[in-house]
Amino acid sequence: MQALNGTYRHAALAIAAALAAQGAALAVLLPFRSHLSVATPALVFLIPVIIGVVVGGFWAGALAAVTGFLFYDIFFLPPYGTLTVHAASNWLALVVYLVVVLVVARVVTQLHTARDEARRREQEAGRLFELSQALIGDIGISELLDHIVITVQTVFAPRWTALLLPAALPAGSDGPDLRVAARAGQGLTADELTSLTASGGQIRSLGMDRTGPPSRVAVALVASNRPVGLLVLQEVQFARQDRALLGTFANQAALAVERAQLRDQALRTRLLEEIDRWRGAMMGAVSHDLRTPLASVKAAVSSLRQEGTALNDVDRAELLELIELQSDRLARLVTNLLDMTRIESGALAVRPTLMPLDELVDESLAAVNGLVPRRRVHIDAPPDLPLLEIDHVLMGQVLANLLENAARLCPDGSPICIGAQSIGTPTAPFVEISVADEGPGIAAEERERVFEMFSQNGGGARSGLGLAIAKAFVEAHGGSIWIDPGVARGTRVVFTVPAATNVPQRV
Amino acid sequence: MTKVLVVDDDVALVKALRIGLTARGDEVATAQSGVEGINQVALFHPDLVILDLGLPDLDGLEVCRRIREFSDVPVIVLSAYGDERRKVEALDGGADDFITKPFGMAELEARLRVAVRHSAARTGNGTDLSGTMTIGDLEIDLVHHMATRGGTVLTLTSREFDLLAYLARYAGKVCTHHMILKDVWGPGYGAESNYVRVYTHRLRKKLNDDEGRLLRTVPGIGYQLVADAPAD
Repeated sequence: MQALNGTYRHAALAIAAALAAQGAALAVLLPFRSHLSVATPALVFLIPVIIGVVVGGFWAGALAAVTGFLFYDIFFLPPYGTLTVHAASNWLALVVYLVVVLVVARVVTQLHTARDEARRREQEAGRLFELSQALIGDIGISELLDHIVITVQTVFAPRWTALLLPAALPAGSDGPDLRVAARAGQGLTADELTSLTASGGQIRSLGMDRTGPPSRVAVALVASNRPVGLLVLQEVQFARQDRALLGTFANQAALAVERAQLRDQALRTRLLEEIDRWRGAMMGAVSHDLRTPLASVKAAVSSLRQEGTALNDVDRAELLELIELQSDRLARLVTNLLDMTRIESGALAVRPTLMPLDELVDESLAAVNGLVPRRRVHIDAPPDLPLLEIDHVLMGQVLANLLENAARLCPDGSPICIGAQSIGTPTAPFVEISVADEGPGIAAEERERVFEMFSQNGGGARSGLGLAIAKAFVEAHGGSIWIDPGVARGTRVVFTVPAATNVPQRV
Repeated sequence: MTKVLVVDDDVALVKALRIGLTARGDEVATAQSGVEGINQVALFHPDLVILDLGLPDLDGLEVCRRIREFSDVPVIVLSAYGDERRKVEALDGGADDFITKPFGMAELEARLRVAVRHSAARTGNGTDLSGTMTIGDLEIDLVHHMATRGGTVLTLTSREFDLLAYLARYAGKVCTHHMILKDVWGPGYGAESNYVRVYTHRLRKKLNDDEGRLLRTVPGIGYQLVADAPAD
């Protein structure tokens, strides 16, 4: 409506300007009437006509022409003051004026229209280019839908624009199978929204048609003969050319939406494949980790049960001890698996308490239950090391996993060294703890990967879970964990844990 | 007394096997890495190697190949459940048999016995100067293309005889479908495992071995010719 008012006001202004110009021309010419030739006023009265045509179009020009004709006839062709014309030559002048004026008005109007048309086409081309530019970009579907409705809103200026997509509903359900996926503009009321979705559902045969309340335009987006959505414009003023533009626009949008949907589908498929592969690796790792202790338990038990073997008492005791240790190892693996599910489900809660390092080491040695004798472990820490502010259950598990790895990789009984030093700032104190062994070490390219869930260092020699869990627990404390690249021999795993402010470990 | 070398990086399993096998009367050496295992084969001259496929330094398959470069010692591979592809690769790469973790000592010992017995037959007088192989009560005359079982002459087609002779040559070793096709049918074959199934089926009929006790099926992997274990 506003646009319409604007047009009228513009036309009225143009007419007023043309008439004013005519009046001015009359006022200027009238005093010199007796000195002028018959043709001069006719030429001057052309000027307002051209002004009218240029500013207000053909009809403003025509009105100015009629006024000019009347002024010319009444005031400048004798007898003055009447429409009557006496001399034949004056008749001729009047007719020539009228013809010239009309032809000029016509030509200028046509030029004008052609220029407007050219400008409009240029704008259309520009908009379509902008749109296609936006549509070929690698953007996600929701971004794309927003882009489409915003462009439609800017170009066609309806009250609002909405884009409806088929909703994923359970098969056989009767409800409207369209939902509003994106909208732009103002005043999309709840009622209108329901009227949209309720009347939706049939976008198959819908071409560009008016549906529902007047001045609502709905365009089906069809790609590959398959409806992909419905574009609805509320209260829009359409020129004939605009329809074609909207149609082109809708086709482009349909292709883009279809492409984006396919792209999303491809991404989802790839994600599922990734998950499948990961699950496969997980099953393999878990199966391997559980089977390893099980293999030695079974071998030992079957030896003990076998008749006719010459097991002495020492052998029996050794086998029984082995069974016990391996059962503990199995239990730890199961604990690790449960921990892992806790991490995965996000149910990991850190409950920090203050604890000295010695106690943490004792706790983790107890957790690995005899796998690492206390005398094999050397602790190298300064006497003023602050207390650790840690969840002792989680951090005990971290240290236990590191000790277990160290013990398994150097079975010769070589020492395992636990080092600690204070780092960080007085306000955010941290303690750096390291566990170093003299085992085979980890290759440089493996140092990052060993912390991944279910990674297997060197064909399954290392637990696929221990380091991944250590990393998760350390990070839950706000610390970090890494493999020291600077050691010449063996492996040195370093991690940081928060420490208590201003509380030394030994008072 | 059998000299057994156990190559595995899992300390506990090595220990259990060492005690179990020693009690049975074997002499046991152990190695915890692939390189150490290869060296031990050269130094210790074992009668049999038990080899884990997952070692910290070298891949078990690689270890197996390197051992085969200088030794015919039977190799029994320890593998995880479901790792069929690796099993086949190991067997193709020269391993004699495999056993899936976890396993009982009785099963392991049975496998050891088969491998050692047939290995001895292969390296010793299995093929004597007259070109005859003996597997239990089965006799194969390579010169005259003739086979008898328990003294009864078997009527075999040429392909059936080739297949039997091939399995007999590798008696005790698990031969994969791929190996059998490549060596008996020819280098152009390798994927047509149904051929092997058809011929082993016919062979069993003629050997009077419908239960597959002599010509054992190793599901999903291949076949193994085993003389019935002597009662012990």
